[in-house]
Amino acid sequence: MNTRILVLILLVVSALSVSIAASLLLDIPVPRGLKELAVYYVSNTIRDTGSPEAVAAIVWDYRGLDTIYETLVLYLAIVGGLAIFRVTLKTITKTPIGLTLFSKTSTKIISLLIATISAAITFHGHLTPGGGFPGGSALAVAAMLIIPVFSMYALLEKGVTSTKLVALRGFALTAIGLVALLPVVRGLEIVTNQKFYPTQILGIPVGGSISLYNIFESIAVASGFIAIALYLSIPEEAYKTGESSA
Amino acid sequence: MLEELSYILIVVVLALNSLIAIYGIVYRRSLVKKLISLTILSDTVFIAVILAGFYFTHPLIPPVYEDLGGGNIDYMVKHASDPLPQALVLTGIVIGLATNALIAFGIIQSYRLTGTTDAKKIIEILSRSGVEE
Repeated sequence: MNTRILVLILLVVSALSVSIAASLLLDIPVPRGLKELAVYYVSNTIRDTGSPEAVAAIVWDYRGLDTIYETLVLYLAIVGGLAIFRVTLKTITKTPIGLTLFSKTSTKIISLLIATISAAITFHGHLTPGGGFPGGSALAVAAMLIIPVFSMYALLEKGVTSTKLVALRGFALTAIGLVALLPVVRGLEIVTNQKFYPTQILGIPVGGSISLYNIFESIAVASGFIAIALYLSIPEEAYKTGESSA
Repeated sequence: MLEELSYILIVVVLALNSLIAIYGIVYRRSLVKKLISLTILSDTVFIAVILAGFYFTHPLIPPVYEDLGGGNIDYMVKHASDPLPQALVLTGIVIGLATNALIAFGIIQSYRLTGTTDAKKIIEILSRSGVEE
């Protein structure tokens, strides 16, 4: 144990001394302005994409095709995980017990709040920091809170099975693909935004296809992570006895 | 002076952090600890990417316009942070989480098959049961 503390102190001291020495002896230039590419993105985001948020504009417009491929990586990673765990889907074998009434009630309130915030992050993703990825992850956090407090079987009883979640995920990914492919019908490039999708609907700024992508991406991310959480919380006995209920 | 010091300190700490993470990935025998080191390494890389979009200005604001008119472009160019690294890290974190979950599934499965998460013992058990490394 003592060696660990010594190594830690040594690391802290060496980091401090190296950086103080470097800042005193070497003349290292620190960045003091935006890079050229970033200047373009910041100046033209509203004109090019209809979104005042430059990060969302890059994620779903300037580099939209990259993000769609990344979504594919996400999909394949989750499908790979579920394929390793390949379990048969049977009826529920246990009644959910969960924690005390106090923790259950507070979890209900907190999960509702988390779901609301996740919806706000998603639907405002083209106007304020946020978007599909953080919104979906926030929704998955609510499910991950419910699983230990109410037990996994409570979710299964309510009909939240991993089969349904994977199906929902497939639906969301198909929708993302359709939103990306639709402009091709009119002879435009794939993942076209402003030339095909409207900037405003009834006076509400929607940022063209960015809000659509955000909504479907949040569904995809949330359902994928909830499916992972369900699979990871299957008790070990279920595998040993050969029956499981996810 | 203080700005240079803080910037260099962050770079040095990131380098040390990645060295520790690489040590964990290479030398630790437990697969779980390898996974933890891998997450430390990926988080270090994310912070390094975010640092690439940082520059010294006051105030440093997020690259978000307050209205759709966009009349304050000059102010934004002088004070907004670089949006590109943020966009890359935003997707990278979620993809990293999914791949980490895939690795965790693999570790759990190998634990079920061999009864250990020690990388060397797993190879021994597999070679004893006739499976090639």
